[in-house]
Parts: sequence; C-alpha cells; structure tokens
Amino acid sequence: MKKISILMTAMTAIIASTVFTACDKSDDTQSNYEKYQQAVNKTVNKEKKNDKAILLVAFGSTWEQAYDTFDEIVADYKSNFNGWDIYLSFSSAICINNARAGENVDPKDYYDPEHWLTAIGLAGYKQIVVQSLQVIPGEEYRRVRDTYVKDFMNNRNGDFSDEYMKSLDLNVVVGTPLMAEEEDAEKLAVVLNNEADIKTAVQQGIVAFMGHGNPEGYDYYGGNVRYLQLEQYLRILNQNYYVGTVDMDETYVDDVLEHIKGGIFAITVGDVVKTMTYLPNASTKAQLFPLMSIAGDHAHNDMADAEDEESWFSMFNAAGIETKAYETNFTEACWKQYKSGEEYIPALGERKAVRKLWMNHTTQAIAKLGTEEALSTPTTAPEE
Amino acid sequence: MGLAGMFIPLLPDAQTILLTDSLQEVVVTGTGTEHLLRDVPVQTEVITSRMLRHYAGRSIEDILGGLSSSFDFNENDMGSHLQLNGLGNAYVLILVDGRRLHGDNGGENDLGLIDPNNIEKIEIVKGASSALYGSDAIAGVINIITRKHRQQGVMLENTTRTGSHGDLRQHNGISLNYGALSSFTNFQLQHSDGWQNTSIEAPSQTEYLITDSRNMTVSRHTNWQIAQHLGWQLTPAVELYADGSLYRKRIYRPCGHHPGVDVKTYDLLYNNASLSAGGQWKLNATDHVSLDIDWKRHAYLYAYTDTTLTEGYVNGYYTNYFPYFPGQKELQSDQRLTDIRLKGVFSLPYDQRLSAGLEYRYDWLSAPMRVKGGQVRDNTAAAYVQDEYSLHERLYLTAGLRLTRNEGFGSCLTPKLAAMLKLGDIRLRGTWSQGYKTPTPKELHYQYIRNMNGVYLYLGNTGLQAQRSDYFGLSGEYRVSGFNLSLTGYYNMVDHMITLVTIPTNQAPGELIAQYDPIRVRQYQNIEQAATRGLDASIGYQAGDFVLGGSYSYLDTEANQYDSENECMHRVVIDGTARHKASCHASWQHRFSERYQLGIGLSGRMSGRRHYQIDGDGKAYQLWRLNTSHQWGENIRAEAGIDNLFDYVDRTPHGLHLGTTTPGRTFFVSLSIRFHKGKKLSNKYITNLNSNQNEEN
Repeated sequence: MKKISILMTAMTAIIASTVFTACDKSDDTQSNYEKYQQAVNKTVNKEKKNDKAILLVAFGSTWEQAYDTFDEIVADYKSNFNGWDIYLSFSSAICINNARAGENVDPKDYYDPEHWLTAIGLAGYKQIVVQSLQVIPGEEYRRVRDTYVKDFMNNRNGDFSDEYMKSLDLNVVVGTPLMAEEEDAEKLAVVLNNEADIKTAVQQGIVAFMGHGNPEGYDYYGGNVRYLQLEQYLRILNQNYYVGTVDMDETYVDDVLEHIKGGIFAITVGDVVKTMTYLPNASTKAQLFPLMSIAGDHAHNDMADAEDEESWFSMFNAAGIETKAYETNFTEACWKQYKSGEEYIPALGERKAVRKLWMNHTTQAIAKLGTEEALSTPTTAPEE
Repeated sequence: MGLAGMFIPLLPDAQTILLTDSLQEVVVTGTGTEHLLRDVPVQTEVITSRMLRHYAGRSIEDILGGLSSSFDFNENDMGSHLQLNGLGNAYVLILVDGRRLHGDNGGENDLGLIDPNNIEKIEIVKGASSALYGSDAIAGVINIITRKHRQQGVMLENTTRTGSHGDLRQHNGISLNYGALSSFTNFQLQHSDGWQNTSIEAPSQTEYLITDSRNMTVSRHTNWQIAQHLGWQLTPAVELYADGSLYRKRIYRPCGHHPGVDVKTYDLLYNNASLSAGGQWKLNATDHVSLDIDWKRHAYLYAYTDTTLTEGYVNGYYTNYFPYFPGQKELQSDQRLTDIRLKGVFSLPYDQRLSAGLEYRYDWLSAPMRVKGGQVRDNTAAAYVQDEYSLHERLYLTAGLRLTRNEGFGSCLTPKLAAMLKLGDIRLRGTWSQGYKTPTPKELHYQYIRNMNGVYLYLGNTGLQAQRSDYFGLSGEYRVSGFNLSLTGYYNMVDHMITLVTIPTNQAPGELIAQYDPIRVRQYQNIEQAATRGLDASIGYQAGDFVLGGSYSYLDTEANQYDSENECMHRVVIDGTARHKASCHASWQHRFSERYQLGIGLSGRMSGRRHYQIDGDGKAYQLWRLNTSHQWGENIRAEAGIDNLFDYVDRTPHGLHLGTTTPGRTFFVSLSIRFHKGKKLSNKYITNLNSNQNEEN
C-alpha cells in the first residue's frame, strides 16, 4: 500500500514537473537576423563589380510569369546602366519565402529591401539609387522612401561607421514610380497608346486598364489621382480608353461600367474632387489589360477569372460587353513557358517602352547624386 | 410514480444494470443529473459502447461522423471542421467527462485530445444548453464519457490499431486501485502518414494547369498524450481527485514545387497541458456538492522547415523581415483557460430535484504577432439554477436559468424549459432554450495570413456583438425492449451569428492591404439572422444477436447579412451544410464458446452536396465500413475491417471544397490485451456507466 502511494505521488510529480517545464525557450532573435544578413552580404560581395548600386524594389509575386518579367527588368537595367550593379528586392516577405523554397523555378533570393540595403552599405558602395518599381506614388512607395531608405540613412541598426554614413550624404537617391508626377501619366498614356496590341484593341472597342490603387484613407501622397489623370490623357487620344482599379474607391469595376454608360462623375481622391466626364460608349467589345508591373494574382483572378462572378471579365460580359481578358498577339511576352499564339495577359513590365519610362526615372535619380537635389523629396505632394 | 423513480441510485442494483438493453442506458448530459435514457426529460442521443465496439473507429471524427447522421467533418491541417446539425464547432460544446475540451484553431477544437480507445460512450444533446453549460453550447453538447477502471489491484491494457496510410492508434492504460486510492495513467498515440487524393490544383486558381502539386488532402501527423488521474476516497462521502495531462501534435507539411501553390516553409505544432483538481461530497443518497478546478493550455507553434521571413522585433524595432531557420519554432498563439465550477444537486419536496452552480472562467490569449499588444484576456462569471419537477406522473418539467456576466459584454439571462409527456412507451418531449455566446478573444482580436493559392488575410473584429439563440425542439420517441424509434424537429435561430465572411478589400485596414496585398480578406462578422431547421429521425432494433439501426437528418439553413454597399440583406450560405445526411449500422455477434466470440458490423454514412460561400460545393458521398471483432476469453480482443468498402474518393482539385476527405478503401487491424491482478469487482459495483470490459455483455 505504501509503495503504491509512493508510486502515485511520483507519477504526479513527474507529470507536474513536465507541465511546468514545458515552456518554449525563446530564440536568440539577434543572431537570427544577423545570420540572415550574412547570407545577403555574401550575395552582394559575390555580385559586386562596381561602387555604384541600383536596388530595384517591387512588391513581389509568386507567379512564374512575374519572375520572368522581373528577370527581364533586371536584364534591361544591366544593359542600360553600365558601371552600376543591379539588385532586385521584394517587399513582400511571403513572396520572398515562397520564391526561395519553390523547386519548380530556380531558387531565387530576392531578399527584402532592409537586408539588401544593409548588405549594400556593408559592401561599401559609394552611390546608391533605390528605384521603386511601383506604378503610383502610393503606400508601397511610401514604405520604400520613408521606411527602408530612411532607416538605412539613419543607420537604425548601427551597422555602419559614422565615416561611411557621412560619405553617403547626397549619394543615396530614390528613383520615383512609373507615374510619379502628372506629366508621367501623360507620357505613359502616349506610350500605351503606341503599343501595337493596345492600339489594335482600342480601334475595335473598349480598352479598360485595371490598376491596383490604394484603399480609401490610405492615399497619403496623392498617388491614386494618377489613375484618373492617366485616364484623362488616354481618353484625349481615344474615347474608348477607361482606367479602373482594384482598391481605389469609386474606380472599381462597377464604377468603370457606369463610366462606360456615360455621365459626369465627381470622384473624391483624398482631399481633391476630380470631375470626370464620359460620353456614353456604345461599343459591344472590350479588351482588358492590367496596369501593373507584373501579371500575377490580380491580373489573373480579379481581372480575368471567368469563374469569379465579380471579376472584371465576368462583370463586363454580364453587362453585355463581349470582353476578352487574354490576348494572343503580344510579341514581348517575358514568360519563358509562353508559346506564341497562346492566350496571354501582358504586364506593364513586359513592355519595353514602359520599362524605358521607369529607367528614365532612374536616370533622373542618378543625375541628382552628389547635388543638393539629392536631398529633395522625390515625389509629389497631394494635388492642390 | 414520482420523479425519484426516474433517478438512478449511484450504486444501482446489479441485476438491473447488467442488462445492456437501451432501456437501461443511463445518461447525464441533458440535465446534469442521472436518468435512464428512456425517461430522460431532454432528448439525448447515445453512441453506446456496443456501437463503438462494432464500429471500431480510428478517431472521434470517424466515430461521430459514422454513427450519427447529425455530424459532418472535413479534416484538414487546420482542424476537423466538425458540424452538428449545420452549426460549426464554435457552437458545439465538447465535454470529456463533463469538462470542456479547450483550445481551438479557427474555432476548431483539436479532437486528437480524445483517445478513441478510452471511450465508454458518447452522449449528444442537440440544441442550446447554455443554461447548464454556458457559452458554446448553442448547437449542442457532446459529452465523451471515458472508461472508468475501478477494479481493485493492478490493471494493464494495450490496444494497438494499425491500418492503411501508416495509420497507428496506440492506447495504453495502467490502473492501480488500492483501498481508498486509485490511479489511472492513460497514454495514447495517433499517427497517419496522410494521403493525397489528387495532385491537381484548381485551374482557376493557378497560373497554369498544375498536375504535380504536393499539397496533401490530409497531411502526415503525429500526436501523443499522457494523462494521469489520481483519486482518493477520503471518506465514504467525500471523493477527491487530481488530473494532469500533456499533449503534443505535429502536422508535417511537405514543400512543393510551385511558389504560389504548394510551397510550405513550416510544420504546425500543438503543445497542450492541463491540470485539474476537485472533489465531490455526497450529502445523502441523492444530494451532492462538487467542486472542479481546471487549468488548460493550448499552444500553437510554427516549426520552420525552410528559411522564412516573418514579422518580429530586432533591437526593439518592428520588422517585416525577421528570419527563422529550419528547426526553429515560433509561437503563434497560446490559449490558457482557468475554469472553476461549484455545483450542488439537491432533492426538494414534491419530487423536485434542484441543481445549482457557480462558475468562473478566465481566458488568456497570448499571440505576439497576431494580436495587438500581444495579449488579451476575458473574464466570465455565471450562476445557474435548474429544477426538475414531476408535475404529474406522466408529465415532467425541467426549467433552468443562467445568469452570465462577461467583462466586455455585460450580463445576460438564458432560460431553458423542457417538458416530457409519458404515454405508455411513447415519450413526447418539447424544449425551448436560449443560448448566449460572447465573441471569443480570437474572434475579437486575432489576425493572421494564410498563403493558399494566394494570400488570404483573416481579421478579428472588435465591433462584434454577442450571439443569442433560441432553440425549439419537439420530439416523439417510442422505446420498448429491443426497439426504438424517434423523430425530432427543431428550429435553431441564432441572432448576430458570428461567421467568417469575405469582405471587400477596401473595408480592411489599408496598412494590412498594402503590406500583404491579399487576394481575399475574410473577417469575423455578425450575420443579421441565421437559422437552422431540420428533422432528425432514428430507428434501432435488436433481436437476439442482431442489432440494426439508422438515422437520417434533414437540414435547411437560412442566413442573411446586411450588405452596407448596396443597403440590402444578402443571403449567405452557412459553410459546409448538407441538406440530407444519413447513417445506418447493422451488427451481429455470436458467442461460439466460452473462449471465442465473433462480431460483425456493417455501417454506412451518406451525405448530400455540401454548400459553401466560396470555392465550390463539396460533392455528395456515401461510405461503407465492414468490421469484424474477435474475442478470446476475457482479455484478448482483435478487430479487422475494411473502411470505405466501395473505394469512393473525392478527387476534386486542391483549393476547392471536398464532400469528404476519405482516402478511399483502407484496411485496419487492432489488438487489445488486458492484464489484471487483484480482487475482482462484485457485480454490485459494475454499472453500465463503467462497463469497460473488453468482453461483450
């Protein structure tokens, strides 16, 4: 009896002690961050050929067509910016994780802007341009400028010597997004209207571009207004053009369909109300294009998914407009798996002429290096 | 006959109780007091030990889904997705010996915490039982009654069940009963290699037709649990106990080829522990007071299998790019519950029985990266009273009332009224009960992302209101020796039902949209009106060695949500519901000699199409199982069988909903061996509450 009591007490003690010691040990967070940083440093040290670096910053994607588009953008930059080392980063951690772990494509180390910039600094680059691959100066661009670059310039993690930080004065500039200023929207309108596939489509009927946009209340820098400006410039060229977005209020697909019916619309963008006038459009055909640097989830799902009743494709067709979301006559497809003649959704980054506009912004940024201009805020203020 | 005649004495007469006829089945869940099944005032469904033996289920999901048409499941990495008459796990209170199962992932309890080989029987009470059990019990209560081991001396038992897809269910029990002290140690291990019903991804969700996906239908997983129970009969009237348990589970997720589709960089880990203590003081033959104190922990972690960037802090600064490396773990959430219950059951004059209780519940949730501030807590206190009263020899009434006070949602009264009319062998029962459920800390505060053919953002909602329900049930039951037939109609209306709804991205915080760029945002929201109504029918027949039974459930749901954009009510589907479901079972057992006994069981379950808001409906299905049992003497038992006899497999591409996740035809064998040394219990101590013998009765 006594033995049994001892046995029972022992069992209880074992269980209780295990319960109370089952807490998880916290990881050494500092060393994790540094270990990862060392991998990025290694990549930069291996790639470094010059003292000047361009870091391209995109949101990222998990689509193979997008990877190939990014490859093309990097290749274009490499051939146009001799004397500069080109790096590409994703700001989406999920996109970085998945691109790295997926086996179907070559493992891709896109890394994030935070670690890239630290590695670039540690490698001793003397001049750095951080080029936004965003379309508008919106929330993603704000993060590039006000978080990644600012933290780097503030030496947030204390990675760099004062001497090095001083040497970077006037030598780090942010390259602006595709439609940083209104004049960029005008230039983009001209470029898009000159694209062969778009030109053909707009002669046959409606051409509707689907941009991303920022959610209401998140349009800090007046980025959203660029979509309306682009639409205005496009419509000067042809009344068949329309521009809408996924996230910007009053420019959703149902709004675009209302615009096609015609009318005067007062669209509120931040503090500004922009009046847009549309004549009724009787076209019964339409072609959809993404107004995004790559064609990923939004282009294939929100725009083109025939099974989703709320996709642009479904909504347009339901409105009685015979609409196509794919095309077969695009000649600059970046996706390596693509076979000519198959259906395709081309992204802005696949259009050489559009890439040229981004590169123009990089050229402008480079021109500012070493001058007082480097201190200027490289974006627009909200519209007056 | 007065009400006292309905109650079962705690040490019943052995001759009465040894009969296994359902007339003698004792149930406790409906009223919290013991009643014979045929005379229980609240309609109660029982999965008996005999049904459990002939079904030989591999898990609690398998058992409930296979033996009752009211249940459905859809097992995947995120949980079992239990549904009872159309309402999900969040509305179903699961008790193990009267104590709530704790911890959820997306509202889903981890049913691996229940050892399928240590179940004596399962009682199911449908409809709101909030008056007695508090929140969660809006769709019903499932009370898992575990086997009790009261034989003096030492008892050792081992059950090993193995089957296709590396399935292993291991159970070991050690019972030590010496005088006033008792101990039971239970170990269980559940493992499956998992399976993949298709390697095709839904073409509409992917870049091109993917035929080599590594996404599993059910992932490889292993869980084990060790539980210890200590009992001390301090005096003949006072019994004390202390319990503790540890549980671990790992879900292994293979990494695939396609970055947007089947790439996984972490496994899922669960880490549970519990401690309980309490006792019961018998005041006399019918009255008692009990006190139970539970502390339970349910922690959910990622176990990284590849380098992964996620949110974290470095040098005190927040970063989106904190790296974890293979082999490292990160806590996602840690839910802790402290639950104290004081209950008394007293006989009152005029054949009344009064149950009264006080409860206090403290919930604590720590989720460093999923909850603003890292932690939230919730306090709930409640007092309840229930009276059972025999108004007339044919008419029994039960009335209950619960006052709940929640720190965030104030006070609420939830009443319950049940009546039973006895007309010979026919019982007519009617119930009206209200349910009350405050939003859980997770529903209020939790936010997370899932990457599953695109990024999904899930959001809590601090604007949620508490849910209230009204349940009306009417049933007729005819039960005689060897035959029973019952028909129940119900209407369960849930006001402000909380459910995950896909919301326009512009309604989500812009900061999160900019950070994750999700393809869909899903948020917990109150649905204006939701109702389930249906009909449950069951029939059972026993003649000699044969037992036949079946059940059918008809379900109709209606849920409406206010569409603020279009200013109208918008009808939504309650995910996973099927209009028609049925189950049936037949068993035959025969004792060829004292040394050998054979049992054969055939069971089937069927479901109509299951409806979902997004990603397609689940296909209708029917599954059949054949099980044979072989008993040699008292202590050795073997089972062998075939599950899914006709090899039905739902090969719907990944990303769309399945009707069932069954892997197709599988085979299983099981062996139970028991050793006992010590004084055998006399018949007077064997109740059919603890008929835990391997042998058939």
